[in-house]
Amino acid sequence: MHESPIIVLGGLRFDLSAIGMLLITVIVVMVLAKLAVRNLSVENPGKLQNFMEWVVEFVENLVSSAMDLKHGRKYISLGLTLMLFIFVSNILGLPFAVITEAHGVQSIFGQPIQATLTNEHAHLLWWKSPTADLSITAGLAFMVFVLINVMGLKDNRKHYLKHYVEPFWIFLPLNIVENIAKPVALAIRLFANIFAGEVILATLIKASVFGLPFVAAWQGFSLFVGALQAFIFTMLTMVYIGQATVHEEH
Amino acid sequence: MSFVWENFVWAIVAFGILYFLLSKYAFGPLFSVMEKRRELVKQQLDEAASSRTQAQQYIDEQKEALATARKEAHDIIEQAKRSSSLQADEIIEKAKEETTRLKDSAARDIENEKEKAIAALRGEVSSMSVAIASKILTKEIDEKDQTELVGQYLNEVGGKQ
Repeated sequence: MHESPIIVLGGLRFDLSAIGMLLITVIVVMVLAKLAVRNLSVENPGKLQNFMEWVVEFVENLVSSAMDLKHGRKYISLGLTLMLFIFVSNILGLPFAVITEAHGVQSIFGQPIQATLTNEHAHLLWWKSPTADLSITAGLAFMVFVLINVMGLKDNRKHYLKHYVEPFWIFLPLNIVENIAKPVALAIRLFANIFAGEVILATLIKASVFGLPFVAAWQGFSLFVGALQAFIFTMLTMVYIGQATVHEEH
Repeated sequence: MSFVWENFVWAIVAFGILYFLLSKYAFGPLFSVMEKRRELVKQQLDEAASSRTQAQQYIDEQKEALATARKEAHDIIEQAKRSSSLQADEIIEKAKEETTRLKDSAARDIENEKEKAIAALRGEVSSMSVAIASKILTKEIDEKDQTELVGQYLNEVGGKQ
């Protein structure tokens, strides 16, 4: 299996691939957004502006399907960032992967890459989808988890706390498990989909020429999966926020 | 694949930075433009609606004006018809009067002429009969008796008439 190029600095592990890919994702999204709003026009929007407005409206619809749009307006930016960030993350690993084969110990910034210390012939994966890493998707999911609970406590404290003991107090453990299951499911769903896609790509590439049409087909499908997973992550985030913060009159 | 908690933190940091940058530099202006467009569209729709009502109002006014004009034209024609028939009647009436007058004066003239002719004829007849009678009776009666007799007869004739 391919390994991550991790170096240790001051007791902290730095996964250079993950950090680099996160950075690239941030830059790509930022450049895309910046290009889209470069020549903002009310009456004659450009192609990229139109696309961006379409995304905004898409997220708006998504938010309004989960909660009252008046209440959910402040989450539109969050939904947009989630959508763009996860989508770009998902498709970054599709066009190619950069893998180096290290023989013996290799160092970077004067620090040895950890995997090469234990493995004589380590395959280091430098370019991949950042979301093909469980720790990164878990970070995103944890952030959502915190957000859900904080917003629930802030905007809807009484009903939010009450829902833990509904319909009876005996359901308290079940409700806590449900609450924890949300981010876990978010993280694992996103990671597993993208990671599996990349594994299958790597496997197909091993079949060399015969695998090429399948590689192309799988890349196309992965594009779809990447968009779908970005949508699902954003949608579920909004649904969870809606559940926690909006009290519906029964 | 091991769980690297540092990556966990990096993901949150990267997302936070991206969220901040996008909100500040991209979404703010984009949202405001979209809001402006919404307002523009709304304003244009309002304008379209108001100009539509205005147009409808103009059409109504025009229709009304047309109807008035039509009615006026109709009235004028009616009046003309009425006055023309009145005039025609008048003319006919006048013509009738004229004819009657002409007829009457002609009749009077004829009467006068007749009277004159009768008077003239009477004078002629008397003198002619005198002449005839004098020629016939010259030998039998003298002129004095003769004239007396003829005058008597002629008076009888005139009285019988």
